[in-house]
Parts: sequence; C-alpha cells; structure tokens
Amino acid sequence: MALLKGTLDLLVLKTLSWGPMHGFEIVSWLEDRSGGRLAVDDAALLQALHRLEERKLLAAEWGVTKNSRRARYYSLTTAGRAYLRAESAKMVDHFDALVTILGAKKREASS
Amino acid sequence: MTGANRARAGIRDGVRRWLRLPLRDARHARDEVDDELEAFVAARVDQLVARGMSGDDARREAIRRLGGSLDQARATLRQSAEHRERTMEFREHIDELLHDLRYAARGLAHRLGFTLTVVSTLAIGIGATTSIFSAVEALLLRPLPYLRPDELMKLTIVAPAQGSVPGTDEMVWSYPKYLVLRDNQRAFSAVSAYEASDFIITSGDVERIHGEQTTSAYLPLLGITPSIGHNFDADIDAHGGARREAIISDALWKRRFNGDPHVVGKTIDLDRAPFTIVGVAPEGFSGLTGGVDVFVPITIRSPDDLNEPFSHEFSVVGRRRPGVTEAQARSETARVGAEVARRYPDQHMTGVESAKAEPLNNARVAPLIRRSLWVLFGAVGLVLLVACVNIANLMLARAGARGREMAVRLALGARRGRLVRLLLAESALLSAAGALASLAVAALGTHVLSGLTPAALARGRRTVSGLGSVSFSSIHLDGWALAFTAGVACVVGVAFGLAPAFRATRASVADTLKDGAVDASRSRRFSGRRLLVIFEVALALILLVGSGLMLRSLSKLLSVDTGFDASNVLTLPIAPLPGTVPRDSLPGVYEQILTRLAALPGVRSVSITDCPPLNGGCNRTLAARHQGASDPAHDPLVMIHWVSPDWFKTVGVPLRRGRPFTGADRAGAAKVIIINETAARKLFPGEDPIGQRLSLGQGGFGSGGEIVGVVGDVRQFADSVAAADTYIPYAQSPRAGMFIFVKTSGDPVAYATSVRHAVHEIVPRFPLRDVKTLAERTSAATATARFSATLLALFAAVALTLSVIGIYGVMSLMVTQRRRELGIRMALGADQGAVRAMVVREAAVLAALGTLIGLAGAVAFSRVLSTLLFEVEPIDPPTYGAIVLVLGAAALAASWIPARRATRVDPTEALRQN
Repeated sequence: MALLKGTLDLLVLKTLSWGPMHGFEIVSWLEDRSGGRLAVDDAALLQALHRLEERKLLAAEWGVTKNSRRARYYSLTTAGRAYLRAESAKMVDHFDALVTILGAKKREASS
Repeated sequence: MTGANRARAGIRDGVRRWLRLPLRDARHARDEVDDELEAFVAARVDQLVARGMSGDDARREAIRRLGGSLDQARATLRQSAEHRERTMEFREHIDELLHDLRYAARGLAHRLGFTLTVVSTLAIGIGATTSIFSAVEALLLRPLPYLRPDELMKLTIVAPAQGSVPGTDEMVWSYPKYLVLRDNQRAFSAVSAYEASDFIITSGDVERIHGEQTTSAYLPLLGITPSIGHNFDADIDAHGGARREAIISDALWKRRFNGDPHVVGKTIDLDRAPFTIVGVAPEGFSGLTGGVDVFVPITIRSPDDLNEPFSHEFSVVGRRRPGVTEAQARSETARVGAEVARRYPDQHMTGVESAKAEPLNNARVAPLIRRSLWVLFGAVGLVLLVACVNIANLMLARAGARGREMAVRLALGARRGRLVRLLLAESALLSAAGALASLAVAALGTHVLSGLTPAALARGRRTVSGLGSVSFSSIHLDGWALAFTAGVACVVGVAFGLAPAFRATRASVADTLKDGAVDASRSRRFSGRRLLVIFEVALALILLVGSGLMLRSLSKLLSVDTGFDASNVLTLPIAPLPGTVPRDSLPGVYEQILTRLAALPGVRSVSITDCPPLNGGCNRTLAARHQGASDPAHDPLVMIHWVSPDWFKTVGVPLRRGRPFTGADRAGAAKVIIINETAARKLFPGEDPIGQRLSLGQGGFGSGGEIVGVVGDVRQFADSVAAADTYIPYAQSPRAGMFIFVKTSGDPVAYATSVRHAVHEIVPRFPLRDVKTLAERTSAATATARFSATLLALFAAVALTLSVIGIYGVMSLMVTQRRRELGIRMALGADQGAVRAMVVREAAVLAALGTLIGLAGAVAFSRVLSTLLFEVEPIDPPTYGAIVLVLGAAALAASWIPARRATRVDPTEALRQN
C-alpha cells in the first residue's frame, strides 16, 4: 500500500528518535523493521527529509559512514521530538479506531 | 548508532547561527543534493550487491527504485532542497529581525528618559506638521470638486480709479458686458455668469434660502449634471422676461419634496412667483457661492433690468479650451476687456477699463488666509526641523555611548551591515512609536483647526465664500495626512538612525577598547552636538518672536475702540415678503414692530439699521457739498447707513454735536443727515458741519439734506481706521431688508424667543432666522487674526518645548561623559556651587550664541510677517526683549537638573573605571 505523506513523516521521525541516521539508513531500517511490509519510495523519503528539515523538526549535517563515504546525517530536534510524541499518539489512536471498525464481528457493539 | 565520526565542513551550523554569520545559500544546496543522492544510490547498490546482485544490475535496480530516472530524481530533489533553503533563510531573517527589535526594545526600555524624550519630540513635531498640512491640503491644494478644476478661471473687470473711488481689478460684470465677452472671446470653451440671490419660498413652509441666478452654461461648464431632470435649455439665455424655471439642490429636494422622483414639473413659489422645477442638482453641489439651494436663469429679470450696461452684478467663470495656456487666456481676456470698454465707454472714468482672468483655485481662500497658511506651513517646517535636530542630537549621543559595545562586536566578527541594522532597529522603533503618538496630536490639532472658521472673511469676498468656508470645515485627518505622517516618520527614523549607526560602527577598535577612552568629539569646542543645540535655540527664538508679534497684533486688534457698545444687544435680520408690504408703508410697519418690542419687559432700547458695524462696510456712495450732478473724480466716497432714531442709543454711539434723529424726521419733512467725526473732518475741515447741506448718491438724498448732528466714529473694519459715515433716517428712505437691534438688560439670548413672538404678532409671515447677539456677529471680524495668532503661538510653544528638551539632553549627556573630570574636580576641593556654575555656564554660552543667530533670523522672519501685523512694527523692542528673557530662563531651567546631577557625582566612584 502506498504511504500517506503525513504517515511517512512520522515514520521518519520515529526512526530517528534513537539517534542520527543518513537517508539510506532510514529506508533500510524501515524496510527491515516492518518485515518488508512497508515499501518506502526513495525519492519521496528524501523529499520528506527536506521538508522536515525546513520545518525545523530535523537538523542535518554532513558526516562519514562506516564505509568511509560522505553522507548527510539527520537528527531529531527538540521540536521534532515533541511533534513525534503528540502526532504518533494521535495516529495510533486513529488506527486503533480503524482496526476496531474493520475488525468488528457483528454490527451491534458488544456490551 | 551510526555516523560516529563527523567531519567538519567548516564551522558547525549551530555556531554559524549564533554569531550571525551567513548560512548556506541556494547554489550550495544544489551541490549537496547531488552528493546526497549519489551517496544514497551508492548505499543502495552496496546493499543489493551484498545480497548477490551484479554491480550493473544493482545500479539499475537502485535507479528504478528512485522512480526510473536519475535526472528526474535529481531535479525533484533539487527543487525541494532549494525550497527548504529559501524558507529557512527567510525564517532566519525574520528571527534576526525580531531579535534585533526585541534587543532594541529592551535597550530603549532601559533608558526610559531618552526614549520618552525622543518619542514625545517626534509626536509633537510630526503631529503639528500633519495638522497644518491637513489644513493646507484642504484649503489650498485639494482640487475644487468640479470637472478638471485647473481649467476653470474667474474673470473680472479691471476698473481704473475714479477720483476718490479706488480702482479695483475684482469688479463684477453687467449682463450686456458679459454678452460682449461671451460672443467675442476665443480662449474659453464656455463662460457663464452667475450671481448669489436669496429667495423666500412662499409655497408651503415659508423659508429663506440661498439661490443663484445663472446662465444656461453654468452647470455644464462646471461638469455638473442634474441627477434628475435636465439643465436649462440654451434658448433661455436669449432675452429677459424668460420663463421661470428652477433647478433645486439635492438637500432642498430631500427636505421639501421628500426625495420625490417625480419632482420635475412641480412648481415652487419663490418670492411669490411660481417656478417650474426642471431638474435636481447632484448631492454635494451647492454652487460657486456655497450653500445654494436653488438655481434660476438670470433672464427671469425684466429686459430693462437686464440690459442696463452699468449695473454690475454678475460674476463670471470660464473654462479654458484644451491647449490654451493660462497666459494665453489672460491676454485674450484683456483683449476682450478692451473690446467691452470700447462698446460701453463710461464718461465718468478717468482711465480705460479692461478685464482679467485668474485661476479659480486662487480665488478660493482670501489672500490673507492664504498668506497666513503658507507662513504657518513654513513655521511648521521649522518646528519639524527643530524636532529632527533634537533627535539627531540625542541619537548621536547615544551612538557615541555605545562605541565600546560596537567595537567589541566588530572584533568578534560581526558584519558591519548587521550592526548597522541593529542600531537602525532602535531608530525604527522610536520612529514608529513617535508616529503613532503623533497621530493623537494631529487628531487634536485638526479638530482645533476645523473649528477656527473665519466666517466673516469668507463673507467679505462673497463670490468665493462657499469655497472657502466649505474647505475649512473639511479639515480632518484623512489618508493624505496619514501618508504624510508615515513618510515623515520613515525619513526621520532612517536619516537619523543611519548617520549615528555608521559612525558608531566605524570606530577604530583599539581606541575605544582602551581604558578611559574619551569620545574625541566632545572636547572640540564646536562639536556637532553643540552646533545642533545652538541651531535649535535660534529656531525657537525665531518662532517665538513671530508668535509674540502676532499675539501683540491680536491684542491690539481686540482692544481697538470699536466706537460702540456691543454688550447685551440682540440682532436679527428682517425682510418682508416681496409684494406684501408697499414700500411707503414699510416705515409704519417697522414703527409698529419697534413699539411692540420696546414694550417687552427687560428691553432697554430698540432700533433698526440696514447694516451692523464691523461688518466690512455696507453701502457706499458719493457725497457732495455742491449742487448738481455728482462728480466721481472729486466727490469723496462715504459709507451710508439707514437707521431709526434710537439706533445710536441702542449701540452706545455718543453724540458729539447737534441732535439725533427724532420722530419728526419722517417722510414729507425736511431731509436730515447725521455724519460721524471722520466725515466731519474730511468733508468740512475747520468748519462746523451743523446746518450745512450735503447730497448723497443713494437713498433719494441726491438733492441733499441738512446735517443736524455729529456722532462718534464706529469701526466698520476690524483692522483699519474708521471711515467717513453718513446716517439718514429710515423713515425718510424706506428699505426692505433691515436688522432689528434690541438692547436688553440681561443676557440677550434669553430674549430671543419673546422677540420673535413679538415680531410675528405684527407681521406673522415674515421669515426670521439668524438671530444672534451683536457680539457674536462682530467676533467673526477678528477671526482671521485670532486664527493665525493661535496657530503661531502653538508652534512657538512647541518649538520652545523642544529647545528646552534639546538643551536638557545635551547638558545631561555632557555631565555623564565628564563624570571623571567632575569627580576629579570635586576630589580636589571644588565646591558644589562651582561645579553647578560650570554646567550652567556651558548651557548659557550655547543659549547666548543661539539667541544671537536667532535674532538675525527673527528680524528677517518678522519682515515676512509684517503684512499680517496690525499696528505692530516688525522690530518691536518689548517683544524681542521679553522673548530673549523667556528663552534665557528656559535654557537655564533646562540645565538646572543636569547641573544638580553634576554635584552629586561621587568622586571615588567616578575615578574608578567606567
């Protein structure tokens, strides 16, 4: 399934909540962690990173990977952390509601 | 945790931001995107190769996952990166700006005295300027509310002097002469004659209204189209006795016809004659004479009346043809004027008549007011200059004080432009606050100005009274005033923020960082700041002298002996409806009215006259001692008044010789005249006028009357000497329109209602309005002088305040800067008095220099003012002396507080490092 823009932003923020990563690392981690269920569009991800940096939810700086390559590392800002906390709670709640409806066995609510 | 090693690509971003150094730019961003994309692709390839793909396959797969085209991906990412950069840069700028403003606001709040001084200076200076600018704009600059008003010109006849009758270039036209003009001129696309003419509406509610008699070209020439109906047809101008048609004003239409859309064709009775309404003028148009409710054709008059070539009554307005310049119009008018003189030569004239054309705009306000306004505008410009000088002073001082701080910042790597912007933030805040405060001042100022309507002066020039008085009441704060305020505030803020800012940031770092460094400029004798204060004092002196002279002139004007007693006199104009009372019965009717009024309790005296005093003069005529026809070349011009016997008693004019009029001086009895002292001196020098005969050109006294009395002089003009007056008994020369004067024993206003009732008992249908006390009527005569003097006094007060603030500021600063020196002096034993004297002496020197320079300027300025002064010489020692004293005292007062502060300097603390 294609990912919505807002969802991708949250996923990126969450990915970075444990520490800075560069673009490909983020994609790779998401694919692994979701067990291949999430197919992230590469170009969309890089654009999302630019957007989040513009909104000052991420900060970026050039660094060197363990393969001695130059890469641009992104890290979460304080504002980004706060945003992640608030928005992921909302989204989890939203999807919980979806799951409740879609997983309902019968029409009437169980008492 | 990945990316453990971080290479530094220059200084870290966080550090770059803190020092306010520039961040990345857009070009850099594109390169970064390319690098990042390459890195991403490379990482993907590595991953795929690690899973077993071949190098080429891996690369192809990586590109496929990017959307199929590397170039496409690169382009898209470049776009988003550039957008990011631009947004972040923009946010950076906003943040910097807010930071600067907050920092500036903190700094200003910390030095509240300085801030309040500058803001109030700006508020007063800009506010005053905006007020007077509003007045100038409303009265002089705003275009007249007609179509292409700069094409309109007022045409007048230039009449040469005739004996003792002075020449004038503002004479109006007669209808035949107007026709010659109309048919022979080539410079104007249209000309039109018009005359103010009051009417009494005799249908329905009786009401007196202003009207104008015009030719059919009038409305089209002004670009006015009736909102309902149509203009007069052109054929109505053909000859006298034309059909009676009328165009009514919008106000009248709404008031009397309730806005009836079918009003065309209805009739309205004017002076008992029915007029057919053919149109309604658009809203807001009230004729060139102002307040006009009805327009009728000139040609309703009888042909005899109309065709009299020497009955000059009509004003003429013309619209220049496109392409015709003012100069061409003027010469053409002169040419046609000569033609008019050729067709209708006047044997009595000693010279040749001509004609002239003036732009209508110039005629809109009396020249005296126009001159006053421009003088005031100049004065206001000076005030604003003083205000700006003050601010410059203060800002320079402030910038000097921050020299050290700026040097440190520069040394740490701040860009000069950035520092200048920081300092500009301060002046921007100050200007903004000053501008806002000035709006309050300007609102007050325009309110005061719009109330000072010199009604009498407008009345004196009847043809433009409408334009003038309407303009006055329209003085208010509008978009122009606000734009003006904003503009001035910007200029002031930027101009006086830039110079100090540049100066402060140019400081040589080493010098200012040294211990005990001294601001080099302050030790120069004629430093910029000192010069500014001297200049300020000079300006204040000039304005104070100007205003002092005007105030003296005003007080002389007001204290002039008017020759009559205006207290407790009620006046009301009264006129019978045309046709209701035959002329010969008028004296009887008025006699009844006077008797009835005299019987009212509290009434001390009642009389009638045709024209109140201090009104700008009434009727004039030629007086002759000889028999036979009047000789305009030699017979003197006198004022002529129609009065009832008690009039002199009612207004307290003393009788000098002979007797007053009595009831015996009525129709049929021998004609009698009373003259005033000036007339006695002029007409009968060295003789006793009693018993002599005098003939007058009006009132039926052509064959002469006997002089029976001499009375005291009464002023007709507020600002000139008494004229020669003659009085004839009303009973021997009845006239329709008169003024009733009632002397009461208390406040005359309380009697207004009972007086009206009493009059209406005798003549129920006479319209009565405009009931005023005599004092009210005459106060208008001095209104212009009061107007100018008040304004100038206001500005002088403002200038004085600003000078005081300026001196205080400079002295204050000097004390602060010389703390070390003062501390040393006091430590070495100088007593408080000596220290105080030092400061005061410094201030006195500045004030003295400023006064000297100011005196020279004041002499020049007062010469300019001399046309506006009444009985006051431009070089008036008492005024000058008083003002120099005032200014001196102010300067000393301004330096007093800093002087006291100087004595409280603690020597030990001052000797420590600053």
